[in-house]
Amino acid sequence: MTRDPDFDSDLEALVEAGKVVPRLPDVVRARSLARARATVVAAPSRSEPIPIPRRRGLTIALAASIAVAVAGSFAWAALTLRSDRRVETAPPAARAAEPAPLATGDSAEATPTPTVTALAQTTPKPRPTVHSATARESYAAELNLLKRAQVAYAGGDYPDALALVAEHGRRFPAGRLAEEREALRVRTLTRAGRTDEAERAEAAFARRFPRSVLLPRASLDLR
Amino acid sequence: MAYLRLVHSAGPSPTPDSSCLEAYDRELDYIFATLRRLGAAPHEIEDLAQDVFVVLRRNWPSLDTTRPLRPYLVGVAFRIVSAHHRRRSREIPHPGLDTADVTASPEGLLQSKESASLLQAALDSLPLSRRAVVVMHELDDIPIADVARKLSITRFGAYARLRKGRKELAAAVRRLSKGGLPR
Repeated sequence: MTRDPDFDSDLEALVEAGKVVPRLPDVVRARSLARARATVVAAPSRSEPIPIPRRRGLTIALAASIAVAVAGSFAWAALTLRSDRRVETAPPAARAAEPAPLATGDSAEATPTPTVTALAQTTPKPRPTVHSATARESYAAELNLLKRAQVAYAGGDYPDALALVAEHGRRFPAGRLAEEREALRVRTLTRAGRTDEAERAEAAFARRFPRSVLLPRASLDLR
Repeated sequence: MAYLRLVHSAGPSPTPDSSCLEAYDRELDYIFATLRRLGAAPHEIEDLAQDVFVVLRRNWPSLDTTRPLRPYLVGVAFRIVSAHHRRRSREIPHPGLDTADVTASPEGLLQSKESASLLQAALDSLPLSRRAVVVMHELDDIPIADVARKLSITRFGAYARLRKGRKELAAAVRRLSKGGLPR
């Protein structure tokens, strides 16, 4: 881009001089580095490097399993369609009664013919079950982590509480307990005497959860 | 065997945290200077630099450390300063009353001929959106395409801001040199 006519040689010289980055006073440098180190100590990240290939492998495995599940459901759907056509000759009463024995698990041999249809009707069920189980586990892990943070906070171990809060934030950034986590972060920072950070955390909390019932308490602790 | 043991006893590889701290230490002068250029008040810079570190550390594992870090840092600093300004404008009903960042009077600037102070005072008169582009391109020599990418704007938008920012900067320098009071 060509220079603006207003950008004359004096201004050029001024800008050139402004490119020099002044050296910080040693005291300020030491204080800033100490704060940064304190953050690292309060919430240490994993000491071992993150195994990216493994994560990539995990992603591929996850994608493959999803693909298999989707393909399976298509296959079952196709089978269902076929078998529906095949068993359409059977009396409707028998077809309507068939899922009950399978569901209860007894006298499955009473209705041997439409097995495929029965299986096809039951196949979609495991998927939501697996999903909800994963969600339950995730929630349990969230809860466990936050409980530990709460215990640390109650015991006055604020660095530990902050570390656990940070870990929760890393693992479940948009988890179901994110609101509780952020409120706990504000309170912990307040109690730890890190007022500036507490104020920032409170502002972020208020932005993210403006109608939270936890907001007044977090703010009250800070005031 | 002893030789083999010697080979195996090499020091442990640096952890992500330690390498992040090293980078932060290396770029601390630049981070402070950038925050100041972007309009952070001197008494706020330490806190904001800490925010930069927090962001840097969070994203450190995904950063390509073989590339220059400064364009990334100035992008982070811009977002942090923007958020800080937004918050401050909500918290302080009359932001104009916060005069802590007025470093010197125009007369003082002229008399002392501190070009850095004059440039800073001129930069302070630019809106943050244009000031960021001017700082990144003119002072940090970051190519305009990278500037646009770091600020999440189009290249055309970056050029437009740069052009207008240059005009405003030149006008501000002229005004300050003539001894006009900064508004």
